[in-house]
Amino acid sequence: MNPTPDWKRPVELSPDALTDPDNSDSKPQISPVSAPREIPPALAQDTNDNPPDEVPVRAPARKRSRRWLWGALGVLASTAIGTEVYRLISWSNDIHPLLGAGFAALTFILTCALGIEVHRGLRGNRQLKQVHALQQQAQTLLTQSSHGNSTRLTRQLGRQYHGTVLQRELQSALQQLDSSYNDQEIVQYLDRHALSQADTAARRCVQRYSIESGVLVAFSPWASFDMLLVAWRNLRMLREVAAIYGIASGPLTQGRLLKQVLQNLAFAGASELSLEAGSALLGSSLTASLSARAGQGLGAGLFTARTGLAAIRLCRPLPAQHKESALPRKIAKSIVQQLTARQNDTL
Amino acid sequence: MGLQDTLKTLVHKSHLSDVSRHLKHRIEQGLEQRVKLAVTGLSRSGKTVFISALARHLQQSDQGLSLPFFSAAADGRIIGTRDCSHESAIPFPLQTTLAGLQASPPHWPASTDQLSEVKLALRYRRSPGLGRMLGEHTTLYLDLIDYPGEWLLDLPMLEWSFATWCRQQQALFFASPRLEASREWLTCQQQLDWLAPADDTQFQQLAHTFRDLLQQLREPPYCLSLLQPGRLLMPGDLSDSPLLNLFPILTDLPANPDQAAPDSLYSRLKSTYYAYREHAVRPFYEDHFRHFDRQIVLVDCLKTLNRGEACFTDMQQALNTLLHSFHYGHNSLLRRLVRPRISRVLFAATKADHVTANQHHNLDRFLQLLVESAQREIRFEQVETHCLAIASLRATSAAQAKLDGQYLSCLRGHRKDNGEEMALFPGEVPVELPRAEDWNSERFRFVDFAPRPLPVGPLRPEHHIRLDQALEYLLGDLLQ
Repeated sequence: MNPTPDWKRPVELSPDALTDPDNSDSKPQISPVSAPREIPPALAQDTNDNPPDEVPVRAPARKRSRRWLWGALGVLASTAIGTEVYRLISWSNDIHPLLGAGFAALTFILTCALGIEVHRGLRGNRQLKQVHALQQQAQTLLTQSSHGNSTRLTRQLGRQYHGTVLQRELQSALQQLDSSYNDQEIVQYLDRHALSQADTAARRCVQRYSIESGVLVAFSPWASFDMLLVAWRNLRMLREVAAIYGIASGPLTQGRLLKQVLQNLAFAGASELSLEAGSALLGSSLTASLSARAGQGLGAGLFTARTGLAAIRLCRPLPAQHKESALPRKIAKSIVQQLTARQNDTL
Repeated sequence: MGLQDTLKTLVHKSHLSDVSRHLKHRIEQGLEQRVKLAVTGLSRSGKTVFISALARHLQQSDQGLSLPFFSAAADGRIIGTRDCSHESAIPFPLQTTLAGLQASPPHWPASTDQLSEVKLALRYRRSPGLGRMLGEHTTLYLDLIDYPGEWLLDLPMLEWSFATWCRQQQALFFASPRLEASREWLTCQQQLDWLAPADDTQFQQLAHTFRDLLQQLREPPYCLSLLQPGRLLMPGDLSDSPLLNLFPILTDLPANPDQAAPDSLYSRLKSTYYAYREHAVRPFYEDHFRHFDRQIVLVDCLKTLNRGEACFTDMQQALNTLLHSFHYGHNSLLRRLVRPRISRVLFAATKADHVTANQHHNLDRFLQLLVESAQREIRFEQVETHCLAIASLRATSAAQAKLDGQYLSCLRGHRKDNGEEMALFPGEVPVELPRAEDWNSERFRFVDFAPRPLPVGPLRPEHHIRLDQALEYLLGDLLQ
């Protein structure tokens, strides 16, 4: 007989020696193929076939001079504000101590509020980064039919979304994961069943805001007002979408999200452009009878929809498997419907 | 009044009522409202359990719990399912099979010895989109048949003459392991004079010997699959029929067959062969095996791994041979109405619950190895194929054991033969054909497990492995 067989012998065990895999999360899980004692050559082949687990993410290189510039500017501004506030308080204190106390209290409250806001913003930023990492991990797992590599992802999902709005659905989906699923199936299952409520809510939110901004622009009396209107509705929508996916949303998070969304839109692929063209075409056939203002409204609505969809893609902990192609068309249709209804009313 | 009755019986006799029913079915099939799913598999590959589990899960699919990857059920679009098997003349004994699986202790269904039909009607809501124009609710009729797997191997005989069949069998029987098992039979055949008149007793005795030989080849240690004629192993309604007195001539065929006496062995065998083909095989094929739309091929890979290379090659050959009997290709609307072809094929390695979960991927790949040439043939017709490791009914649960300081994934279940609880690490499924010296009895130990009791109430995803993905692949596009 071959002294060192390249396969692992079957083993029969007594049923009492077993542990339940579901209850032993804390224990290190070693699958038989990765046992340290015998490494079958098949394993080496597998690891060569599959891409490495973690895709190195290159952080965008930030210029050092830029950081100095912002730092100096920040210090200058905070010193100036501090001095001004101090002078304000001392001046009011001179007039009357009560006035001084009032101003001091106001300043205190303001500082506290600012501190909380900054804290929340930082947390939101951290969450956005985590979401990005989760997405990349899930994307890698989707290409693998290995077994057991997704424990890290599921554990992170459970931990990071503990105490957020997503927790309930996510936890129940994580508990229902079957022991026979491989990594790819686990990601697919979670994509389908762990986020469905949040997805529906987010999509409804995007639809509502898009229609709103479309109609508002179409009926706003001043053209210069439009930009402001769209920006306002978009920011509100970003905040809501982030909140739906359990991300702490403050102005800081909103800003970061907006930046990423705009980057995303600027580098949108050809597919999305063609989609846009398709919706526009559909719109044009329907809006031939409408005025130029209505056309502008439709454009603003579609822009909001695209922003919203990009925000969903950024906030969702798992990469969306099926592309959202029906939503922009649906939104375009409902905007046009609303506009024609109003126009018929006014005529 | 009397006239009406006479007319009625006349219509009944002439099968005119059948014509309208057939026409209705054909039109429904053409409009993709009726789908005939071919559940193909050799004997003991799990057809009956697959069909019962499928029917049971579909019956509960309106609850949307047990099939998370079958999108129509997971999205809650299935409104209800009705079992219409009673419309068929030979209904599938679904209740009996399920009762056996739900009993305590549960037991696998007995080998199928008769053909039976399952008809399911699925009422579902269309997914939002253009399809909704046709109405929100619609029904899909799903037809399946269950039959003994042995009969399937008779289908290729429809295209073979008696001489071709004998030559095919000669090639088989003069190769290992059949050669060793059938040495006696071969010497017996060499002593026969094929053209001389023979009496009935001799003929029947020979046929019985051949039937015993086939039985022997089917059982361990040979476990062969490509055994023809299949009715000898599973006669069904033909038991004791003279059609079963049939065996191939394994010596050289007589050079001058014209001189054969009408009651010679040669003439008798030849006429029995053609009669068998026309009366046993053709009705089975014409009534049930044409007009399929989708196909699932169930393969028991673990049996080949347990038994060795000879079993592997034999099963490979059997699958290749029988898949030639089906028509593959794309369907245009007209084609669907007149003569539909199979447009999607799933190869499924059954008993995935008999290996640990981390070996499922390997089982997939091993199945690909087994069906490689069959798959190539089908792909040539531009028909989609896919390989998947499934378990229609899960008999084991995953567990792990600490052994020499390492955690080892293993299976926990009850033995099929004595019902004892056991835990087993059954070995790794190879992704390449093992070399002959690796293929020894120590390498794999895939034990047959007894089923876990199927709950009478709602089923959950843990009662099957990838049955939902199989369904999604086979029917998902029809339930849009």
